[in-house]
Amino acid sequence: MATIAEPQRTAPQQPTYHEITRDVVATLGRPSRTYFVLLAVVLVVLALGAFALLWQIRWGLGVAGYTPPVLWGVYITTFVFWVGIAHSGTLISAILYLFRSAWRTSVYRTAEVMTVFAVLTAGLFPLIHVGRIWYAYWLFPYPNQRQLWVNFKSPLLWDVFAVSTYLTVSTLFLIVGLVPDVAAVREKATGWRRKLYEVTSLGWRGTDQQWRHYIRAYLYLAALATPLVLSVHSVVSWDFAMSIVPGWHATIFAPYFVAGAIYSGVAMVVTLLVPLRKVFKVERYITVDHFENLSKLLLLTGLIVGYAYAVEYFIAWYSGNPFEQASFYNRAFGEYWWATWTMIICNGFLPLLLFFRKVRRSIPALFVLSLFVNLGMWFERFVIIVVSLSFEYEPYAMGHYTPTWVEWSILAGSFAWFFLWFLLFAKNFPMVSITEVKEIIPMPRKARPGT
Amino acid sequence: MANGDGMNRRRFLKVLGAAGGGAAALSGCSGDATDKLIPYLVPPDNQIPGIATWYASTCRECPAGCGVHARVREGRVVKVEGNPESPVNRGRLCARGLASLQGLYNPDRIRGPMAKGASGEFEPISWDDAIARITERLQGATGDLIRFVTGNEAGTFDRLVTEWLRALGAADPVVYEPFGYEALRHASRQVFGVDQLPRYDFGAARYVISFGADFLETWLSPVEHARGFAEGHGYRDGSMGRYVHVEPRMSMTGMSADEWIAPRPGSEALLALGMAHVIVTERLVPRQPDTFRVEQLLDAHAPADVAERTGIAAATIERLAREFVAEPSVAAAGGVGAQHEQAHVTAAAVNVLNYVAGNIGRTVLYGADLNPAGPSSYAELGSLVRAMRNGGVGVLFVHGVNPAHAAPAGTDFAGAMERVGFSVSFSRFWDETAMHADLVLPDHDPLEQWNDFEPRAGAYALQQPVMQPVFDTRQSGDVLLAVARQAGGTIAARFTAETYKDYLQQGWQRLQRQLGDFRPFDAFWTEALQRGGVWRDAPARAVRLARTVTDLQEPATRSAPLDALTLIAYPSSALYDGRGANRPWLQELPDPVTKMTWSTWVEIHPETAAARGIREGDILEVTTSAGTVEAPAYLYPGLRRDVIAMPLGQGHTAFGRYAEGRGANVYALLSTDVTDFGGFSHYAASTLRHTGRHEYLAKTEGKSRQMGRGIAQAVTLAALQHGEHGEEHGGHAAPVPEHVEQLLDEVQEAQDADTRYGDYAGDLPRWALAVDLSKCTGCSACVTACHSENNIPTVGPDLVRRGREMAWIRIERYFEGGEDGEPLEARVLPMMCQQCGHAPCEPVCPVFAAYSTPDGLNGQVYNRCVGTRYCSNNCPYKVRYFNWFDHQNPADPAFSFPDPLHWLLNPDVTVRSKGVMEKCTFCVQRIRGKQHDAKLAGRELEDGEILTACQQTCPSDAIVFGDLNDPSSRVHQLSRDERGYSVLGDLNTRPGVTYLRKVRNLTVDEA
Repeated sequence: MATIAEPQRTAPQQPTYHEITRDVVATLGRPSRTYFVLLAVVLVVLALGAFALLWQIRWGLGVAGYTPPVLWGVYITTFVFWVGIAHSGTLISAILYLFRSAWRTSVYRTAEVMTVFAVLTAGLFPLIHVGRIWYAYWLFPYPNQRQLWVNFKSPLLWDVFAVSTYLTVSTLFLIVGLVPDVAAVREKATGWRRKLYEVTSLGWRGTDQQWRHYIRAYLYLAALATPLVLSVHSVVSWDFAMSIVPGWHATIFAPYFVAGAIYSGVAMVVTLLVPLRKVFKVERYITVDHFENLSKLLLLTGLIVGYAYAVEYFIAWYSGNPFEQASFYNRAFGEYWWATWTMIICNGFLPLLLFFRKVRRSIPALFVLSLFVNLGMWFERFVIIVVSLSFEYEPYAMGHYTPTWVEWSILAGSFAWFFLWFLLFAKNFPMVSITEVKEIIPMPRKARPGT
Repeated sequence: MANGDGMNRRRFLKVLGAAGGGAAALSGCSGDATDKLIPYLVPPDNQIPGIATWYASTCRECPAGCGVHARVREGRVVKVEGNPESPVNRGRLCARGLASLQGLYNPDRIRGPMAKGASGEFEPISWDDAIARITERLQGATGDLIRFVTGNEAGTFDRLVTEWLRALGAADPVVYEPFGYEALRHASRQVFGVDQLPRYDFGAARYVISFGADFLETWLSPVEHARGFAEGHGYRDGSMGRYVHVEPRMSMTGMSADEWIAPRPGSEALLALGMAHVIVTERLVPRQPDTFRVEQLLDAHAPADVAERTGIAAATIERLAREFVAEPSVAAAGGVGAQHEQAHVTAAAVNVLNYVAGNIGRTVLYGADLNPAGPSSYAELGSLVRAMRNGGVGVLFVHGVNPAHAAPAGTDFAGAMERVGFSVSFSRFWDETAMHADLVLPDHDPLEQWNDFEPRAGAYALQQPVMQPVFDTRQSGDVLLAVARQAGGTIAARFTAETYKDYLQQGWQRLQRQLGDFRPFDAFWTEALQRGGVWRDAPARAVRLARTVTDLQEPATRSAPLDALTLIAYPSSALYDGRGANRPWLQELPDPVTKMTWSTWVEIHPETAAARGIREGDILEVTTSAGTVEAPAYLYPGLRRDVIAMPLGQGHTAFGRYAEGRGANVYALLSTDVTDFGGFSHYAASTLRHTGRHEYLAKTEGKSRQMGRGIAQAVTLAALQHGEHGEEHGGHAAPVPEHVEQLLDEVQEAQDADTRYGDYAGDLPRWALAVDLSKCTGCSACVTACHSENNIPTVGPDLVRRGREMAWIRIERYFEGGEDGEPLEARVLPMMCQQCGHAPCEPVCPVFAAYSTPDGLNGQVYNRCVGTRYCSNNCPYKVRYFNWFDHQNPADPAFSFPDPLHWLLNPDVTVRSKGVMEKCTFCVQRIRGKQHDAKLAGRELEDGEILTACQQTCPSDAIVFGDLNDPSSRVHQLSRDERGYSVLGDLNTRPGVTYLRKVRNLTVDEA
């Protein structure tokens, strides 16, 4: 079996099974004051977001900054942003699993947790954004006496299915992956947590038969989740590509969005892992090598995204379609030039730094870079959605959108919502997979003479 | 609704139930409260719940006197439309007329008689008390101390006031209309010796030249002019008229011109004289008999002489003169926006021009005695104010005019009222004048009263109450009669009429005899009521040049300081002189030129602005010798560089919630100097100062240029005559291949088949519109009609700034040229839902709220809409409107219809709640209504039977609705017109709206 990360450079000493269990279980110990302060901050911001949402429901969507013709704004931008974030989790846990990339083992749990909570966050936004949230259930095809049905031609309906499927599968995947770990933690837990682990470990005893079934199930789930990595964000991209809005209606959208999603997701994994490994003192398991691997993934997807930007502009020019051309000219040089250039610089140019090995192996540099990519990817969606809508076909009906405090609060609230779940999870479940990390270190053997 | 005032539901039902006289009870004018409740078991014959009753009446929003039909449902009026029998407007109405409903139901109407108490606050009093107070005051005053100011009330009320004043021994009333046309009248007197205003027949003219007359907006009778102009100028069968507009500013009327000429401010007369010079010296037309009288004058005005002073090349003047006589033509002058100190000279010069070209009696018709302002004069108002200030007025009555606002602010009518012993206002609203009165006796709204109006010789328009009064108001005529009765003695004896209605009928009995009608009066009266009046042709009156024409002075050259800009205070086409400012529909109606709402702005040429470092929205301080106001800058290329322009109508300090404190009062910039013609000048030398503050303009327009997208297309007449049909536009140069076209047709058929549930109407129509851009003037009456018909809320300036206005139809105005020496051209295009065959909005709706009806409409199920707004994102025309707030909820601050404004809601159309997308459906309620009528009568629908609200009111008949599947329908034929095109047709949306390209009649050297 391989080592944790190959080539092994920074951790010359392999941990033992015992050490792994000890170190990981230690992360579930009594939280520090910082943890509670963080939790309080998150709750306050979440309350602000909730207040803004209630305010909006009470008075109408007009309290947000919508300015026709821009009828989708920060909410849909943030929806796509969070759905995108969700994508690297499944990529790392499922696709890399199928490809037997051993280095995934110490980071995949974080990525998966991030995925589930990101989808959970993203799923709120279609609700937040509709005009009559109290009728949002009409978007589901449920039998009703009025014989009303939903419109399966609408990409928005595809979205409903894509996102709910993704949430289901990624949650299942996370829970199944947790089972042996939870069982390991169960033995050391007391009180209500023990009860929690008893339930969530689903009676895991670690018998051979259970292991055999478990490995199979995990493999199948990985196979099931893999196509979703591609399909979900393709469907999300079709929200735009299926329309006739210049700047949206492009065949490149599905691959472009998938690459962008993985790109932003990996960046978010980096953003989360850097403080996490420090706080949880698991530097031994999440090493610079892991970060280098992640940054290679970041570089690859970043190049695809940069290429997609170039292709968009090229096609706009090459199509000869004046509306498309005007829309893209407006992106770069119109009223929203700053958003476009933020996006291009953060996503297209900054990741080129990753060609340097020094940058790839510098954790502070990566952390800062990942923040820029997160920002850039949010702006990418903003540019695609808002800037395209502000400059469509009818010159008379063009407009300029600026969000209000309601949208900013709900955006901040969405981060708080995400981090609330993340914080709660991190203190109650192992963020590094005990089982899988153990799998990749050499079997412990009795000491032989001479070694 | 708990308080007793106003018409609440209970009282409304009471009125409805008081079926003593059926319609008479509903429409009657008796102010007595009915105290019997009779259940609605036996309904009156002509009141069927759910079925509208129509009453003819007369619009009194401006002195044009258009006939209206009021649509009354369950005892309350819900819409006004034009009366097709009125020769003035022939069934059409402008935005102001349509908004008269918001005067009737205005929440800021005065709800009963009020008297100023000792504390200076108004307190409600009873009508008896009010009448007693007037009588008492009158008995304490001698006749010479009693004065009465009215607006233009030509007709019975004017006679009553005059007679009443004479009975009191007082002077005749002062008639004051802010838009007084004194200059035109002065010019008629001077040139023809006739003290009247002629009628201008734009329909008979093939060549129109306007010297600042905004004849499509406020000038004389705009609805009538628009109809005539569309007839004379609109393209038909290979030919059309030509229109040249001469004014330093391109007004809305000027936007319809084929050529816009901007002379130096105040020099229009020279141009007219120059043209007349060419016509006379070159003998282009047979010499008129009296031409010798002006020969000397004309000699001094050869084109070469006037070219420099007007800023117009001599060659242009000669060309205009030749064009002018080549076809039946008319020249018009004297618009309010062109009323400078020398406006009477302009008007006189234009009279001379019309005369030498032989237009008098052909397109300029004397005898009709058009009566847009009565014998109004600002000079008279000025002397009244002087008398008031000197204590020469003891009792003052003000009716139907608001001189405390609508006169140069220096006049200070309000201040002078403080010096009057006792002043009485009959205003319906708390306007600036009423606020300074001692006693306020609110008049009935024109839709609640018996009255008549004579807009011109031979036209006797009747007004009847179309519903019970909304508030405890009383008709001013009844008040005057009651005062006379109470005064007793000789005064009472002079008035035999019990009520004003009786007085009116006495007058009409005389009129009947005068007209040589010998039927019983009842028959005459009933017919007049049904038709909205009695219409007779005006006797033509031949006129000749008067001797006084030789007094015609050429305009003095203005000597303004070099850096000064000439300010033009022009009339707002929506708010008129300010009287429309309390109607939210009119406030929210985008100005046809600037697309601004709810505010006052300063128009400034972009180059002038750039030179002074002014950007759009910068708040400027405009100073003239009369005063200073502040308003944001609006960059407008349709101005001379040495001119700035501001619209009148805003800046009220009272006048209710919609008007008060909005914009700036431009009257404050106008001088009180009485001009030679007895009016006041709307021009002033001004200076600008940048305050350093900035405002985001409340305009509805995104970009003012089409960016080559061919939204509003035009073609030159010459091109059409050579068989070219106009510009080809669009994103995709390649046409759709035939097999694709076929596939699309199949998809369309399958779609249609899917929607034919139950096949309820056999062969289904495909409803469609055709809009002729060669007729559309951009007047925006359709916008207000749509507001009225479809219960569209108004949202206020802050939401307009956010682009959230709700009007389902908008007039897009685009500019072409105007740079690098290119002449500026404005194009207008009404944009409503295109009811696409392949509607991009429909497939994206996840819940089928947007769907295709079997008859080709893009339906919208408001109740089903969840509010994803994807439909609007995907609509290339941007004609879907989202309810950002709860405008229909009385408990919500965004409520658009404060009591009793909600009474004007059309019961046939639902109001929409927050979070729902709404849109135009070609007035589907009107379609279904007529379909039901036809079905009940067992007949087929006829083409032209269904009129959409926008089409119904369009003064220039630019909109035609009908069934595209019926080859004999007008819309079918127009859709195949050589000028027809679809906006953004390359998107393959297959719109149901066909636009016919605007045709520009350019001269050879322009084209």
